[in-house]
Amino acid sequence: MAGIFDRFSNLMAQRDAILAGDGADPFQVKMDQVISQTEAIIGNRRTILCGTNNYLGLTFAPEALKAAHDALDAFGTGTTGSRVANGTYAGHKELETTLCEFFNKDHAIVFSTGFLANAGVLSTLMGPGDYILMDADCHASIYDGVRASQAEIIRFKHNDAADLDKRLARLADKPGNKLIVIEGIYSMLGDKAPMAEIVAVKKKYTNTYLLSDEAHSMGVLGRYGRGLPEEVGCEDDVDFIVGTFSKSVGTVGGFVVSSYPDFGMLRLVCRAYIFTASLPPSVVASARVNLGLVKSGGALRTRLMRNAKILHNGLSEIGLKLASDVSPVVAVVAPDPQVAVAFWRGLIEAGVYVNLALPPATPYGYSLLRCSLCAAHTEEQLREVVAIFKDVASKMGLIEHKARRVAAG
Amino acid sequence: MTVNGEPSSETVTALHELLTPFNKTGVDLKPGTRFSEDLNFDSLVVMEFVATVEDRFDISVPMNMLPDITTIHELAVAVEKIVKADRG
Repeated sequence: MAGIFDRFSNLMAQRDAILAGDGADPFQVKMDQVISQTEAIIGNRRTILCGTNNYLGLTFAPEALKAAHDALDAFGTGTTGSRVANGTYAGHKELETTLCEFFNKDHAIVFSTGFLANAGVLSTLMGPGDYILMDADCHASIYDGVRASQAEIIRFKHNDAADLDKRLARLADKPGNKLIVIEGIYSMLGDKAPMAEIVAVKKKYTNTYLLSDEAHSMGVLGRYGRGLPEEVGCEDDVDFIVGTFSKSVGTVGGFVVSSYPDFGMLRLVCRAYIFTASLPPSVVASARVNLGLVKSGGALRTRLMRNAKILHNGLSEIGLKLASDVSPVVAVVAPDPQVAVAFWRGLIEAGVYVNLALPPATPYGYSLLRCSLCAAHTEEQLREVVAIFKDVASKMGLIEHKARRVAAG
Repeated sequence: MTVNGEPSSETVTALHELLTPFNKTGVDLKPGTRFSEDLNFDSLVVMEFVATVEDRFDISVPMNMLPDITTIHELAVAVEKIVKADRG
């Protein structure tokens, strides 16, 4: 007699093996109190948060808190409706206008999450006879979105513009639109797309468009925080930008912007836009205020990059293997999932929260302790994080317990 | 190339060569060998293996085709179909 969960039996056995031993479940962390952007109480312990994607630390921005409180009082706790029914308030439209101004694009559509923005747009933008060429390391929401489309889905090697070129060349004679899908910064390792090269490849072919998911690069890159296209100077060549309010913008929600005149049609075809409730007014109000803070947040970006260097260099110097260059994501590689879990438990017990990321959610089958920086981290906090990493890793025998390095002459 | 819907021995031999390093269960590779059940491929291994097939034959295997490819025979037929469509 087969139970309905029997098909997960292999996965359950894997989970049990990986999570064997004493200690907290890395996938069921509970924050009892959030003290600030960088600290929380987890299991009665004051914990430094080093894995929240809260890159600019705007979750407690006083201006956004006030706007959210005001909207809450004026418009209530929720819209109880879809954007196409009763769920579009003045705030939702103002937020879309603010997004257009922020990105210098003609049109913006706000979704209830970043996941839904990708799922909605990617499932509808391309149709039968069209092609989607996606970077192999794209986020799950992109995978789910393209799977739901009627287009043919082709993956190219991660960050390999030459491989993309080769695959587009094979399609050159075929009618149908081609959509290239990349991310500005990839979430697991924090590596950037080779956007200039990808744009150059795109321009070689007709009917070929580019969509970039700027979830982790918005607010982080570019003088005004418009992400990798701004940093690279190719904003006009990116046809569609998808993003989220749940990282640098410090709240929740997703969006897509574009300057195509008929872009608004997506409101009538994206099921992820039509058949779900819209964002609550307080969220919309805080997102709008925080977009302004992101735009003027040059000093925050400077602090964020300074913090990225401190943590990256600190963890590298103690002998840990890092899978990333200096970026707001610092990915520490553990030898296998079991060691990664033990490492993660050691850190949480010592008061540091990072993300545990295991295959198949990671590239190259890596088992990762994924850290992300916040502009609000102090140097002292980051020194403490490095010291705790060092202590846990030494106790586990992952790094040599050596005396402080002295600069050689 | 394909004769009466049967893939050529060159294609099958090439696939066997590519599969060898992925064959962790050590089963004999036959036309009916299943990637999931017999070779224990999970989604990640599938992606890695498909990438080597794409490199070897200089083709793109669309993700949409993958659910219908469960055996070595089906993969060989699919590869030849794509090669034919690409080269005309």
